[in-house]
Amino acid sequence: MKNILELSHVSYLYSEKTPFEMQALHDVSVGFEEGCVTGIIGHTGSGKSTLVQMLNGLLRPSEGQVLLNGEDIWRKPKEITSVRYRVGLVMQYPEYQLFDETVRADIGFAPRNMGLSEKETEERVREAAEFVGLSESLLDKSPFDLSGGQKRRAAIAGVLAMRPEVLVLDEPAAGLDPRGRQEILGRLQEYRRERRASVIFVSHSMEDMAHYCDRLLVLNHGEVLMQGTVSEIFCDAEKIRSAGLFVPQVATVADRLRRAGVPLPEGLCTVESVSRELLSLLGKGGNAQ
Amino acid sequence: MKNNTFGQYFPGNSLLHRMDPRMKLIVTILYIVMIFCAKNVLSFAFLLLLTVFLILISRISVRIVLRSIRPIIFIVLFTVVFNIFLTGGTGEPLAAFWIFEIYREGIVRAILMALRVIILITGTGVLLTYTTSPIALADAIESLLGPLKKIHVPVHEFAMMMTIALRFIPTLIEETDRIMSALKARGADFSNGSIVKRVKALIPILIPLFVSAFKRAEELAVAMECRCYRGGEGRTKLHVLHYRFSDFVWLFFFVLFLVSVFLINAFSPIKIAY
Repeated sequence: MKNILELSHVSYLYSEKTPFEMQALHDVSVGFEEGCVTGIIGHTGSGKSTLVQMLNGLLRPSEGQVLLNGEDIWRKPKEITSVRYRVGLVMQYPEYQLFDETVRADIGFAPRNMGLSEKETEERVREAAEFVGLSESLLDKSPFDLSGGQKRRAAIAGVLAMRPEVLVLDEPAAGLDPRGRQEILGRLQEYRRERRASVIFVSHSMEDMAHYCDRLLVLNHGEVLMQGTVSEIFCDAEKIRSAGLFVPQVATVADRLRRAGVPLPEGLCTVESVSRELLSLLGKGGNAQ
Repeated sequence: MKNNTFGQYFPGNSLLHRMDPRMKLIVTILYIVMIFCAKNVLSFAFLLLLTVFLILISRISVRIVLRSIRPIIFIVLFTVVFNIFLTGGTGEPLAAFWIFEIYREGIVRAILMALRVIILITGTGVLLTYTTSPIALADAIESLLGPLKKIHVPVHEFAMMMTIALRFIPTLIEETDRIMSALKARGADFSNGSIVKRVKALIPILIPLFVSAFKRAEELAVAMECRCYRGGEGRTKLHVLHYRFSDFVWLFFFVLFLVSVFLINAFSPIKIAY
């Protein structure tokens, strides 16, 4: 698989050359595969948000390169905006960043900046709103009159309206109820499928990661601790714990069952896969216990 | 946004950092009085030395201190130009064209005036803003204004308002940064285009910023009430300020400096006043 985005030996210092200097990333090299949903995990302060802001050129690495389709995005710093249209970034709690008079105008902000015609803009707004599940009647309301979940959708729609090749989200489901989480994360997978795009997102929920991602990247103190497929990563529970994180509960359950002599294969980390395996074991002989 | 060093506290443990904030306020006032009383080249030279000395013992990097001049560079230039051209003098003008005449006095005066503004900003910077945390400063003001409580001035409330305002400046800057990043991610451009275009580009920043500031104010008020905040009556402090012997040494020296400035003004052998 080809890497759509790649960081090569990237380091980042905040407040360089002041007493507040702080190293957020240290020699990070990772590749994000095209057409994959990649999850980024790490404890608070591990550099996730910094890394995410590197991907669309909001932050410029102190050292190292960010490659989009193999090309350094900072080769022409003046044209960084075109990179931002290709790599759409939804920041943390994006609902606090809505500003326009109507939801319609707010979602249309990016398409208008891209210089699209009113007609094209309108079409993209409608498409993005429909995609995140905002009904037509909400579009003419003020964004401040929406509910929390609707605001979040409107903000995500504002980025989707750019039709980015890579969609990056920093904790898209934080603070939502279980149903809201499921819907939003489900939409991300749908976006990947419909547009053949790549999706990268940050989350603290290992269950969500196991359920929605193909690949994972684990950060610890500004460095890459692990990267690989979801089951590869969650197999190494020891290492995950060393980064102050946990594996999904169901993976722990599967692990204990295996140790107790139940012949489960390794690398199971979603409720669905574990229950499928258990049912087939029970169905086979009924004497798994 | 983040390069705005004017009025920013740099933690440290220098002699200036350790001075009692109340004493810092007092000596800063003495320092400002000195600067405005200085009358001739010699007293300015003395103040320049004093300021350099203060910057050195503050252990704040000279580069950062000099950077604080940047926002006032326009005022300094303005002062210099006006003083050079509009100061009359005795004797022959050094240069003259059209209605302007430049005298030696004008040049001296322009240099001294520029120096006055620069040492005022850098000196008060290292004495107060760079070396004192805003919270300590608010505490000091509350304590120094304490006597006004007798005539029912709500000193504590003012200090609390100031503390809260100062406390939220970094938060608001951070928030502004975040909102700007989010807009940039959607293709907003803040650095190019005409002035009108750039001012218009600020609207999408200000609206969410105000909305969240009001929301935050309300949440803070509720949180304070939940912790039974009822104003200054009977309230004690976690960090009680204590003058130490070294604070009085500082005071003694600054009074001495002030007296020296007056003496130099009066008995200077070099008689170039402005």
